[in-house]
Amino acid sequence: MEQFIRLELPNLQLLLPEMVVLLTGFTLFSLDLLQRRINHALAVSVSLVGYLIAIFLLVFNWGAKGETFYGLYRRDEFSSLMQAFMLLLTLLLLGFTYTYYKSKRSLFGEFYYILNFALVGGMFLVSSYNLVVLYVALEAVSISFYILTALLRSDFNSKEGALKYLMLGGLSIALASYGAGFMYLYSGSLDLRYILTHVGQNQYFLVLGLVLFLIGFAIKIGAVPFHFWLPDAYQGAPTPITAYMASVGKLAFFAPVVRLMPYVQEHFSYAWITTVGVISAITMIYGNLVALVQKDVKRLLAYSSIAHSGYIMAGISVSEVIGLKAVIYFLLAYSLMGFGSFIVLALLEKVPGWENRLEQFSGMRFSAPWLAFSFMVILLALLGVPPTVGFVGKALVFMALSFEGLWWLAFIMIAATGISTGYYLRITALMFMKEVNGGLGLNASGLERSLLILIAVGVVLLGAVPIILWNFVSLSADNLFVR
Amino acid sequence: MEGFPFASVSMLLPLVGSLIILFLREELSKWVASVVSFLVFVLSLLSLLFFDFSRAHRVQFEERYTLVPELGLSFHLGFDGLSYVMYILTTLVSLSAILWSTRDHQISHRLKEYYIWFLLTETFLIGVFASLDLMVFYVFYELTLVPMFFVIGIWGYKLRMYSAYKFFIYIFVSSLFLLLGIVSIAVVHYRQFGNFSFNYFDLINNQYSLEFEVLMFLFFLIAFAVKTPIVPFHTWLPDAHGEAPTAGSVVLAAILLKMGTYALLRFNIGLFPEASVFLMPIMVLWGILTIVFASWFTISQSNVKRFVAYSSVSHMGFVVAGMFLLNVEGLRASITEMFAHGLTSSALFMMAGFIYNRLHSFNMQALRGSIKFMPVFAILVAITGFSSMGLPGGSSFWGKFLTIVGAREYTLLLAFLVVVGAFFSAVYVLYLLKTLYLDAKEESRLIHFTDLRGFKLTAFLLMVVPMLMVGFLPFLFFAFYDPYIQNFLQYLILKVGG
Repeated sequence: MEQFIRLELPNLQLLLPEMVVLLTGFTLFSLDLLQRRINHALAVSVSLVGYLIAIFLLVFNWGAKGETFYGLYRRDEFSSLMQAFMLLLTLLLLGFTYTYYKSKRSLFGEFYYILNFALVGGMFLVSSYNLVVLYVALEAVSISFYILTALLRSDFNSKEGALKYLMLGGLSIALASYGAGFMYLYSGSLDLRYILTHVGQNQYFLVLGLVLFLIGFAIKIGAVPFHFWLPDAYQGAPTPITAYMASVGKLAFFAPVVRLMPYVQEHFSYAWITTVGVISAITMIYGNLVALVQKDVKRLLAYSSIAHSGYIMAGISVSEVIGLKAVIYFLLAYSLMGFGSFIVLALLEKVPGWENRLEQFSGMRFSAPWLAFSFMVILLALLGVPPTVGFVGKALVFMALSFEGLWWLAFIMIAATGISTGYYLRITALMFMKEVNGGLGLNASGLERSLLILIAVGVVLLGAVPIILWNFVSLSADNLFVR
Repeated sequence: MEGFPFASVSMLLPLVGSLIILFLREELSKWVASVVSFLVFVLSLLSLLFFDFSRAHRVQFEERYTLVPELGLSFHLGFDGLSYVMYILTTLVSLSAILWSTRDHQISHRLKEYYIWFLLTETFLIGVFASLDLMVFYVFYELTLVPMFFVIGIWGYKLRMYSAYKFFIYIFVSSLFLLLGIVSIAVVHYRQFGNFSFNYFDLINNQYSLEFEVLMFLFFLIAFAVKTPIVPFHTWLPDAHGEAPTAGSVVLAAILLKMGTYALLRFNIGLFPEASVFLMPIMVLWGILTIVFASWFTISQSNVKRFVAYSSVSHMGFVVAGMFLLNVEGLRASITEMFAHGLTSSALFMMAGFIYNRLHSFNMQALRGSIKFMPVFAILVAITGFSSMGLPGGSSFWGKFLTIVGAREYTLLLAFLVVVGAFFSAVYVLYLLKTLYLDAKEESRLIHFTDLRGFKLTAFLLMVVPMLMVGFLPFLFFAFYDPYIQNFLQYLILKVGG
């Protein structure tokens, strides 16, 4: 390993956004430590400033690419794109959290810096090939998510969800690290690129290691049959956190798999296609079928999130670069749609007596028209009605499947989408076609309204003018796909 | 004016109109909608002056804006003979439907939304017929679902929500196969030419093996067979058409069904000529079976709206059968029938809605003799009925007559089968007319009925006058698409080889 011998100064310019975010985190931490009761306006503004600077640095150094710390950290188009989305989604999230936690009487100072640590972990998770970095980053994201899930201290569901998440999350990390161990045993390296291009003696170790590693991630992304924690954790978590897990969490946990895919394809093309294809088929059918019978909208959306993991995995199973493009597009698309859908619930949960039941959405068009229209757009996007991001994502996945000749998976995806029509339309129909008397008593600030409408507009605009995202997605996929 | 972007302007106008409605008072929305749809109609008539009929097989008023160069995706609009007819039909029917809605009792609440959805529908429909890029076509094809979903679900009759679901799910799921088909042939194009493209004129250069071509044909067919609809896939239609408000049914029957038949002709036959020739006998027989079965279903209906809805299915049978005859008469018949059915079915749905406003019932029994004291209405309905039946001078005559002529070119038996279909379709129209005119009923209630007038009369006349024009001056309409048909058949011969 000659790279360990060569001494190299770390190129910190690549790490600037992460450093800024981490610094923000420490500032928030000290703020919470120093003040007896944290000043939320101050905490929010510190976070805002930090993230804005990070975004600015990210955009300003968009061309900065390369590896540093001896290949531990890698910045490329893919990681920049993912990080930009993560930062933007975190910024959006901060617009909704204060009023939510206030209405739940759970305003804690921890929230800001734990959210920040989750973000930092996510930012590292999308930008490394190294098993150790991936492990640490995975732990950082996961542990932050356990705490964030449990942060509604008086709520039983929140604790239950957090515990389940903790158990299965711990299992997933144990499996992933065990797998990492086998891969190290096989190759003597911790760099995934090296491991997968290395021709060693015991292929079994590689296979075993990869399978365990991927099962670890399959649990995190909620692939069936490793999904059991997901509905409970999503339902139990404070809803803004659910939104965060469904968006930033999905981006972060999918990223290493996306990075891995071109390398694994080279070795185990057939096995990969069948395994991932079958899991994706089961995931999308199961997720949609169970979502169909849910009465609780939050749980319904959690299952829809599982189903979307299935669609994304369908793209991962494809061995061509178009599959990667589809996956990245769909990931970004889902992060926006999933975020929006849970945020709608977060807004509604401030209404006294709101329980996320399906019937409660009746006549939403009259009681909160702006919310109803935004939610309609988001739901139709999740369904894949053009011209939304969801549609572009699905069309790209279909294209990738057709490229690979995976007709059976394409048919299953059609069936799954067909099933999903039932529940997305039901909510839409309830909101618009049922007319009920009496207002809802929803008071949302102008900021919250405009942010939600912004998300809805973004969902449509990014789909109607796909070139906006496509160029970034295409470039990052091309660069990941080294053959 | 040669290069005036008629397609995009007539798509933009309703869009702008719906934006204006959004910011205006509720009562004004109907006037804005009427004016906008009238402007679009005038614009489409104006475009007649600049349409080169001798070169109707070429795409005219062409516009192209690149969307994603890497995927070969472009916003490519334009009209040739076929889509031009559909464009005129769209603007005409939209105007008529909106005029009708302004005086419809069913449309008494949430006016803003209603007219916004309607104007959006018009935009999307023009988009469907104008787009030459398959992905853009698909986007508009799917988008028409959303406004119609709400129009049926909010302003419909009793079973409105159920029907709206059924409508959306049937068409959405079936059209996912279309999406799969579209991306698949784009991938084939990439394999053969090295670049992705969704453009119709690029994709017709693809070469397929027969099995693959039949598979793709079936993918497209699933979507369009449900949309058209052909008989076993028609079950969404009576519910959607039966429960939608009058104007909704009008747009559904007159234009949304034409999307299916238009796309069958343009994409299924155009992109997969060999598969079409291969499957031709099946498709023609399927069309004839559709006519016969749908006619039987029609006669057994007790709800007049469902009656008209089923009659639409049987007309679509003629369109499909004529189209797949793949000769001049067959194609002429098919396109003429598309236009004609758009007019007659709209008028019949307006009839049903009009009588409902008077009698508050759709029941055929309740309708007996109900038009006796409304002379203007009675005459117009009679013209519509006889047109729909295929009486010479009526609009559907040419569709039916030319299908028979086209079928005769193959075998006498086929022609005979079409005649049988035509017979059944005559039976149900006569049954309807008998119920409306001749059956007795106590007349005291009927005397007070006011006749058709004002906006509703205008809307009705907008359908009846072109109906008579098609009947008596068919060559005016043939001029639109004869060059297109010639060119299309030549292309088929070139592809398949005789």
